[in-house]
Amino acid sequence: MAVNQATEDYLLPCARRLEDIWERVDAGVPPVDEHERTCPHCTTARESLVLLHSATRQLADEPLTPPAGLTGRIMAAVRADIRRATMIPLPAPRGGVQISEQAIAVVLRFATDRVPGVRARRCTVRQLPGAPPGVVAVDMSLALQYGTGPAAQVMAAVRAAVLAAADEAIGVRIADCTLTVEDVFL
Amino acid sequence: MARKEAIVVDQSLPPAGWVVADSVIAAVAARAASRAPGVLRLETGVTELLRQLGERVRRRWIGIVPASTAGVTVSRDDLGVSVRVSLALAGGARAVIVAERVQQAVAEAVRTDTGVELAAVEIAILAIEPETRARVAVL
Repeated sequence: MAVNQATEDYLLPCARRLEDIWERVDAGVPPVDEHERTCPHCTTARESLVLLHSATRQLADEPLTPPAGLTGRIMAAVRADIRRATMIPLPAPRGGVQISEQAIAVVLRFATDRVPGVRARRCTVRQLPGAPPGVVAVDMSLALQYGTGPAAQVMAAVRAAVLAAADEAIGVRIADCTLTVEDVFL
Repeated sequence: MARKEAIVVDQSLPPAGWVVADSVIAAVAARAASRAPGVLRLETGVTELLRQLGERVRRRWIGIVPASTAGVTVSRDDLGVSVRVSLALAGGARAVIVAERVQQAVAEAVRTDTGVELAAVEIAILAIEPETRARVAVL
């Protein structure tokens, strides 16, 4: 059972891999299933990738080698556009600061992974409707290692780590933190 | 790049007042933001990446390397010139504070280097890489 995701892989909010879509675009293969045809995240990613694919083709056809690390830059650009779609305001004194929900999620997952015997899985962050800027709700699913200790203690430690990370690393307050244990591992 | 989007800096000056192109403001802002403590890099979207790839071809003909404007967009409205900076941050510093310092650094650099007083510096934090640590301990 794999509980660690390779860090190079980027999951779309719908949990599909961006790299898979790129491979299909690169091979000229249409969307493989109904999800990929209709999911807003997948279709947005695909449109961007198709655009970049044709642009890089043109570039490759020129007697000029494509820049090093081009695929990496394409992935980063598509990722940036996807993240830009879900921004929430941060409480900066002069305003004008926004952060992507997924950037917050990465920090919270990282904090969770540092709790012994716990692996973070999916994490979604959203702004609470009607709440002031910087107050968010978090849903996170976890995998626990067998024999780590009483679940109540472990969950309390996770909750404390998540709340502290939100405050110290980002500057948001978590008003609602829902943890779901999805799995156990040896 | 954005020569036709040039703006008059000070409306009160006679028509001989100087003009700063949006791409110059973007380049100054990008440089200031990328050097701010806690900033890992500026984040580029698909549209910008396409433009960069085109620019690379053009560069071959004119033989110069233009200053990077990646990650910065410049806009104008009734209030004046505003910039929007897209960032990836290192871990180890509070994101909201890093963003605030970038706002200050960008406003100051654009004021000093171009004479333009920005109406707003908007920050979009698109990524944080917690496994990298900010090089400065002050934050």
